[in-house]
Amino acid sequence: MSRTMAAARRRDLTLAAIVRWATPSALLVLLVLFAAASPTFRTPGNLLHILVNNFTLPALVALGMTLVVSAGGIDLSVGTSADIAAMIAVTLMAAGHGLLLSLGAGLAGALAVGLVDALLISGLGISPFLATLGVLFVGESVQQLATNGGTPIYLVSNFPSAGLAGLAHGALLAVPAPLWILGAAVFLVEVLLRRTAFGRHVRASGAAPQVARYSGLPVRRTIGLVYILSALLCGIAGLLLAATVKSYVPLSGNAFLLDAIGAVFVGTTISREAKPNVLGTLLGVFLFGMLHNGLLLIGWNFYWQQVAVGLLVFGVLAASFSARRLQARD
Amino acid sequence: MTSESLSPAATQTFSPEPRVASPKERHLGSGQFIRLGSLFALLLVFIYFSCMAPGFSALSNLANIVEQSATLALLAFGMTAVIIGGGGDVIRGGIDLSVGANLGLCIAIYAVSEAAGYSDVTAFLLTLAAGLAVGALNALAVVGLGVLPLLATLAVMNICAGLELVLTQNMVISSASPLLAWITAADWLGLSVTSWSFIIIAAVMLLLVHRTPWGLRLQAVGGHREAARAAGLRVPAYRAASYLGAGLLAALAAILQAARLSGSSPGSGDILLSVVLTSLMSVVFSRRLLPSIGGTILSVLFIGCLINGFQLLNVSSYWVNGVQGLLILGIVALRSLSDRPGVA
Repeated sequence: MSRTMAAARRRDLTLAAIVRWATPSALLVLLVLFAAASPTFRTPGNLLHILVNNFTLPALVALGMTLVVSAGGIDLSVGTSADIAAMIAVTLMAAGHGLLLSLGAGLAGALAVGLVDALLISGLGISPFLATLGVLFVGESVQQLATNGGTPIYLVSNFPSAGLAGLAHGALLAVPAPLWILGAAVFLVEVLLRRTAFGRHVRASGAAPQVARYSGLPVRRTIGLVYILSALLCGIAGLLLAATVKSYVPLSGNAFLLDAIGAVFVGTTISREAKPNVLGTLLGVFLFGMLHNGLLLIGWNFYWQQVAVGLLVFGVLAASFSARRLQARD
Repeated sequence: MTSESLSPAATQTFSPEPRVASPKERHLGSGQFIRLGSLFALLLVFIYFSCMAPGFSALSNLANIVEQSATLALLAFGMTAVIIGGGGDVIRGGIDLSVGANLGLCIAIYAVSEAAGYSDVTAFLLTLAAGLAVGALNALAVVGLGVLPLLATLAVMNICAGLELVLTQNMVISSASPLLAWITAADWLGLSVTSWSFIIIAAVMLLLVHRTPWGLRLQAVGGHREAARAAGLRVPAYRAASYLGAGLLAALAAILQAARLSGSSPGSGDILLSVVLTSLMSVVFSRRLLPSIGGTILSVLFIGCLINGFQLLNVSSYWVNGVQGLLILGIVALRSLSDRPGVA
């Protein structure tokens, strides 16, 4: 009797380990494989390149998504926030306005998108999926109308774009500026989620909104704030993207959406309670970024990369969810 | 009666439109209010375009709207069936994000196999098989392995979009086969095969989901999974079937779309958000504010009217997305406001 119980317990632990280690081990295996296959991949320069170019921007967006999913929602309008911020900032700069004013106005634009989301979801009680989908559609329309159907705006004048380039390509203590920004955002979101009353309210609203409401927590205000924070983080990502490519390309922010959702949920697999968490999200984003970079370097073309990313995500999800299901069955 | 049949009470609960409304159901005024309001909005849009846009209400143009809406309709039927079978929860409920990418992949498979010299029948069967295979992959992940539908279908969407790119190398592959020519040209009562496919599949789905025992059980599975399981329904089978159905419908839509575009062109799968919007909007056309095939038909036609009317009025197509977005927000806001006690 006790032997079978011990065996069952061992099996439980094994399954739990499979769930929690599926993502990190996929990451490690790929890291080793790419390093073995491509000498370029394993240079420090390339690893930094991954961090700056394949990781920072999606990570900022995914951090916002982590907050939103923690509160039990979803934000399909992340690309809209990023695009609107870039659109406003680049338009102002192209018209000769100063750097700070333009960036501030861009962030205010993202804030406006977040406020609309918050108003629809917390104020009117619309389901997050529908509300943010509606905002996404309206945002596309606004951008198409403002840019005559999607003509990119390029920055040619020298003065503001020099400062802007510093934002994207500058460095402080040998660490590129975008990484500093991401580091600050990671710190803020982690502290906010784990160390503050607000973070507890977010998690309570996500886990059991009804209970949270009856316990007197400010559920509606919390959920509204989460969408505003997400929009601000996306706005920063949009501004960084604009700074990197020195232009605003309409509707380019939507590319972040699926990777962000994917990263957040892939990240939930490393948490014991299967909840969104900052570390897991970052691992997820890094997994995607490394895969894109590594496959490119070992000579796979862009088309096969997408198939591979899809298959890998499918595999990680399949492994961790089916193990979790086996666990629940016992 | 099989062991799977529902008790009369359960059928009553999950049936979207019981033929005889009890006094208590009549009391459900807010749903009725929304439904009438939405129908009124549809009517208003129709009347507006009829007055303002010359030729809008001509029969040939109405047939045109049906034809233009066919692809969206087929995909939305699949999506609605998945949502009905999976329940409406944002994250845990049923959703199939892969329908658009599946459409693109199926178009590519049809065009590539035509280009490789296969016959119409072989290409057609290959396309159907591809659509079903994608549906089966979704079903395996969601039902078999228990992955959240939002995530599983997201991964499958990436796989499909990638495979489409691999097959087409992101280039236009034109194809002109007797089958495609027949689909676009054939004319019976002024409607093409595309329009007839829309009408026939709409009728079949309407009957299947809302008028057969199977359909009622599918609604029961989505409405309350645990209750359905307790009532003895094979829940996994119904959910798997809804994903397979969505895959098959995407393949059929692909054939129609290949005929319209004369082959495969990059970006033809970029329709996902419209499909999601259409399926979710269907709730405002049903009395109980649940997703339904009938509601999906109406919202497809609503969006079709908007697009077509804007074209006739020479309004920039850039407005269409915005108006669609505002529309859904307005309707859904109305709905959630009327859900509150003391309103409507």
